[in-house]
Amino acid sequence: MTKEERLKKRHSAEKRFRFYGLASIFVALLFVLILVQNIFSKGSSAFIKTVIKTEVFYNQELLELKNGASEKDIINADFYEVMIESLIKSFPAKNIDEENELIRLFSADAEYEIKKAFLNNNNLIGEKIILDLTASDDIDQLHKGNYPRDLPEDRRRISNFQLAIYDNFVENGKIGKNFNNYYFTKGDSRDPELAGIGGAIVGSIYSILICLLLAFPVAVLASIYLEEFAPKNKITDFIEININNLAAVPSIVYGLLALQILLATIQLPRSTPLVAGITLALMTLPRIIIPCRASLKAVPPSIREGALAVGASKFQSVFHHVVPLAMPGTLSGTIIGLAQALGETAPLILIGMVAFVVDIPSSPIDPSSSLPVQVYLWSESAERGFVEKTSATIMILLTFLMIMNFLAVYLRQKFEKRWN
Amino acid sequence: MNKVKIKSKNLNVHYGQKQALFDVNLDLNEKEVTALIGPSGCGKSTFIRCINRMNDVIDICKVTGNIEIDGVEVNDKNLDVVSLRERVGMVFQKPNPFPKSIYENISYGPKIHGKGDTKSELDEIVENSLKKSALWEEVKDRLDEPGTSLSGGQQQRLCIARAISVNPEVILMDEPCSALDPIATAKIEELIDDLKKTYTIVIVTHSMAQAVRVSQKTGFFHLGKLIEVGKTEKIFKNPDNKMTQDYITGRFG
Repeated sequence: MTKEERLKKRHSAEKRFRFYGLASIFVALLFVLILVQNIFSKGSSAFIKTVIKTEVFYNQELLELKNGASEKDIINADFYEVMIESLIKSFPAKNIDEENELIRLFSADAEYEIKKAFLNNNNLIGEKIILDLTASDDIDQLHKGNYPRDLPEDRRRISNFQLAIYDNFVENGKIGKNFNNYYFTKGDSRDPELAGIGGAIVGSIYSILICLLLAFPVAVLASIYLEEFAPKNKITDFIEININNLAAVPSIVYGLLALQILLATIQLPRSTPLVAGITLALMTLPRIIIPCRASLKAVPPSIREGALAVGASKFQSVFHHVVPLAMPGTLSGTIIGLAQALGETAPLILIGMVAFVVDIPSSPIDPSSSLPVQVYLWSESAERGFVEKTSATIMILLTFLMIMNFLAVYLRQKFEKRWN
Repeated sequence: MNKVKIKSKNLNVHYGQKQALFDVNLDLNEKEVTALIGPSGCGKSTFIRCINRMNDVIDICKVTGNIEIDGVEVNDKNLDVVSLRERVGMVFQKPNPFPKSIYENISYGPKIHGKGDTKSELDEIVENSLKKSALWEEVKDRLDEPGTSLSGGQQQRLCIARAISVNPEVILMDEPCSALDPIATAKIEELIDDLKKTYTIVIVTHSMAQAVRVSQKTGFFHLGKLIEVGKTEKIFKNPDNKMTQDYITGRFG
């Protein structure tokens, strides 16, 4: 082969390699795009809910309240009759069956919404006001165009009569779209239009905080000891290998461990963020120790020697110089570890976090859900309304993860110090 | 002739199985500059790291024999390394300022040793140390800037100032100019000349010319053995040993 030929071959090899690289990046981006597009197109409608503008008459005969009633009285009062009367009046129904079909177009929370309006303004006795009442899941999905109307009636959840009412409402401008506050403030529900991720978010935050409080100090101190103080011998090597192995253990194994030890033996309350936090801490520990040790290792020995040479003790050289320099890397490692923990589902399923929890937990020992488990739960539900909720929750989860990863990169770049 | 400050007797150092120093007997005089020369890996650095027990950091390193400073045994297990290193400062081959401000670089040593309790005392120590290391004029207006933002030569003088800040008796310098350009080297050498009035200085160097310029006494190491030691003039003009002769005339090394 001549020199020219060899040169040409080398150049074309490089060109080929660049092309493969670009192609790989393109394919990867394409997949990400498909994923994001899919989630967005399915999920974005969950942030909006369909409402039916309804005239509500606070009929004194049906209410045992007076204008200016106290909050407590209002909360205890029964608004059911008022609701039924108002809903039925919204469309002329001929018989009780039709009335029931009409009422089913509204969410199960219509009574509560009517009560809430009264709580905001307790001078409504005898008044008629127009309220935006949340529509039922079926109407919501129908209005969002996710519901096929052209199926035969017996294969639809919505009857022809209900469709007629819906069309009439649309014609009269009674159907509207509002921001779906329920999605963010409520806990889980059997009714998709009333289901929210409030409980899951609070549960996830409690779990991650407990995970952070347990895992961070233990991981950092363990790393410092192993990296700076531990004698270099067989036992240290053995510990190191095991930490690396633990980081690779499938997370469901930690779930089994927690099930046996935390729930069965110690008898901590099941389905709670406390147990979830401890489980996630166990899982996250080695995943924090590894980057933490790496960032300690990255501090050049010359810094340690410099400190020792002016008479700093080993402890001082480590805590005055090495640890502060390793902190940015340690923190970003911790955040990435926590981000992984936030998205972890399998161990939480084992410790009972798949339970159907309606209430938003007020403490870490209340039963709770968490974001990834909520995704799992809703993805299994049959109702159409949960499809958009599932995707929307994935969007929320991804947003949290992105914020955390961004924070990790930012911390590392902002505080990382350079030496020489 | 100044009195002997540091005395090593039958000093042996092992790194694991490998022996790095063989029965080194070397006396270093007070307020004098002693240069240690020799080819790479001959044990010069190992020797000076014995004086402030920096070899303790290396797990596999084992030191036997004696080193005395003012008649006090350094290798004594009960000796407090911290106070030893307060008395014996060190400057390294590559400038290694802390990634902190110039001020903090200097004030760190005094702080941990409880010198300079008040801000004004610390200010004074910082100023004096920087003046002694001939850096004050260049940095006095930017003491808050990071030490790592200085040039290589300035960084090395900062490290010398850091060593001086705890007011040691001995300063060990491990090839302090090997990473510096000739102008910075000249400044450091000038500084060393000045510092020997106050401190006992041991300098490891690969530059024969530097040894001649700064030192009064020179020791030549080869393969872990101290081959010859004597007045610098004598070593470079008329060495007793053939090997020393060969080394300084550049026949090997």
